[in-house]
Amino acid sequence: MPLRTIEETKIQRLEILSPDGTVDPELEPKIPEDVLLDMYRKMVEIRLFDEKAFKLQRQGRLGTYPQILGQEATQIVPALCLKPKDWMVPTYRGQGAYYARGMRLLYSLLYWGGDDRGVKYPDQNNDMIFSIPVGTHLTQVAGLAWGAKLRKEPWVALTWLGDGTSSKGDFHEALTFAGQFRIPAIYLIENNHWAISIPREKQSAATTLAQKAWGYGAFGLQVDGNDALAVYRAVSEAVERGRRGEGPTVLECETYRLGHHTTADDATRYRSEGEVEAWRKKDPVLRLRKYLENKKIWDNEREKTLLQRAEAMIDSEVAAYEQFPPPNPLDMFANNFAVAPWPLIEQRLELEESLKHKKGELGMLELPPVEGRFP
Amino acid sequence: MPEMNLVQAINQGLRQAMEADDRVLILGEDVGLNGGVFRVTDGLFKQFGENRVIDTPLAELGIVGSSVGLAISGMRPVCEIQFDGFLPSVLDQVVCHIGRIRNRSRGRNTVPLVLRSPHGGLIHAPEHHSESPEAYFTHTPGIKVVIPSTPEDAKGLIVAAIQDPDPVIYFEPKALYRAARGEVPEKLYATPIGKARLAREGSDVSLISWGAMVHTCLKAADTLNDEGISAEVLDLRSLAPLDLDAVLATVEKTGRVIIAHEAPNTNSFAAEVSALISERALLKLQAPVRRVGSWDIRMPLFRLEKHYIPDADRVIRAAKQLLSF
Repeated sequence: MPLRTIEETKIQRLEILSPDGTVDPELEPKIPEDVLLDMYRKMVEIRLFDEKAFKLQRQGRLGTYPQILGQEATQIVPALCLKPKDWMVPTYRGQGAYYARGMRLLYSLLYWGGDDRGVKYPDQNNDMIFSIPVGTHLTQVAGLAWGAKLRKEPWVALTWLGDGTSSKGDFHEALTFAGQFRIPAIYLIENNHWAISIPREKQSAATTLAQKAWGYGAFGLQVDGNDALAVYRAVSEAVERGRRGEGPTVLECETYRLGHHTTADDATRYRSEGEVEAWRKKDPVLRLRKYLENKKIWDNEREKTLLQRAEAMIDSEVAAYEQFPPPNPLDMFANNFAVAPWPLIEQRLELEESLKHKKGELGMLELPPVEGRFP
Repeated sequence: MPEMNLVQAINQGLRQAMEADDRVLILGEDVGLNGGVFRVTDGLFKQFGENRVIDTPLAELGIVGSSVGLAISGMRPVCEIQFDGFLPSVLDQVVCHIGRIRNRSRGRNTVPLVLRSPHGGLIHAPEHHSESPEAYFTHTPGIKVVIPSTPEDAKGLIVAAIQDPDPVIYFEPKALYRAARGEVPEKLYATPIGKARLAREGSDVSLISWGAMVHTCLKAADTLNDEGISAEVLDLRSLAPLDLDAVLATVEKTGRVIIAHEAPNTNSFAAEVSALISERALLKLQAPVRRVGSWDIRMPLFRLEKHYIPDADRVIRAAKQLLSF
């Protein structure tokens, strides 16, 4: 018997706004003007913040910091497609996503300054802390959305992962569950082309990462990740698909990590300046600005005002970070269990005793108050 | 003898072991052109090429699982797991396979692989980059676990690990990568696995330790010495197998033992050392054995790490308590 074709899948790519600012009118999403302006403002603010944070690290005022330079569209836009009760789980390169959902930049500075009090998301949001061992959050995200589905709530879960993380076994297991149980989870692969020093083409022999979706019965799409309109349309449709009970979506958003992996990395060791330069020309922020200008809702004057306000806001967040009272070492014992078992009670006492001895050398007369719960 | 740091010593050991045996391969994330995030494999990609220094996709379990197959098939894989906090994902292979295959196959298949990973804290690293997971490994039968604290041992132990016919976990104390300097013989040599190193002789109290904490103990011993207390420092170097003779010898000499380390104290490797002492040398003790480890909570972000990992002060206070027991 001849071989029969039993399934054919097509891999599509969504592009709406080109680098020169021209737009495909058929695909152009209807985004309310206030949302568009909010999107642009946040993309500009996070870019300025990113630059500031990088400098703070270089000056020894911040710990290791992962820049998001060049990924402003994939950071800010997806978060704006959610309702507060939808789950959002960014990656460690996710300060843009948290900011877009309303978290103060102060907390990103605290976290990357090595202070656990930097984990503080707006109360009304279902935001979750990111995972540092990459990909370990992916199955959890399936569970977050599954819970909403089992309770018959309309919420979806959106998470990000890198091109590198799509190689982890966790990705396979997460998509297996999400597909099998038709879970309303959205896996946004922020393909920035570099997993530290490993380029995308050495990560997988697959032509696209979007096509991985089909192996699990999920919907997959490749998206121009530097095109804010395409990201908006793709994520909004994925959210709707999830709310309608049509299961998971994998979006491969192609963007580019213009900076180092983190401030501890030196990307000049393994990639060419020419490649970086070519991607600078596809800038997501500038592209959206051109779109707004063409729509006559943006001009140089408004840009100038935005930059001034953004810089003032960022300066004020940096000042708040640097004036934040030092942590009390005893804080680390809070929030480990609902009720602390005896070893923690003993050990906390031991630390308290030793801190009393060290008060002089710690440079404080009295220790700051303890935060968090410790029964 | 040339002086070098820990990174340079491991690098030289890897290089010479690869020159001596063309079955030796390095696999890991960013180990190639980038030379590893700590530069431990710097220059090896250039010297040996992409078929021997292999940049893998981002998949730790893939690195270790495929290395099990490579090892059984006759290669000598040296896997790098980039950070200690990424090791738990490979435990499936470590616990279920690498230490069991020799026995399960009744000696037919063996797994001569080396699994390298940074270890410990105190470098202001991000979350999950400062862990001390040695006890998960020492609890697993069929594998060896080593951790050097000097450049000389770093080179000798990586060579020994590669030459060993069985799987070896090789921890690299990251606080020592550049801070520990010392003379390192130029020739290829192996430091025997299973032998401790007496880092300092003393007679009143024994400080048993491994990894970066050995240096904290040496600092504590200096201070104690100034106060008229003679402390001996034993660097275990090899946790599995443990140098029982060296442990018992120091117990017999001082009668007072502190076991200091970076991992959370409960169920740490220190518990095993303490248990052995109580089983085999109870009557030599003049005070209870004391474990000085980190608190039984997760490693906090780096602003508080120095209040979490024991410092010399905690070791000194414990030593004084034993002396006044």
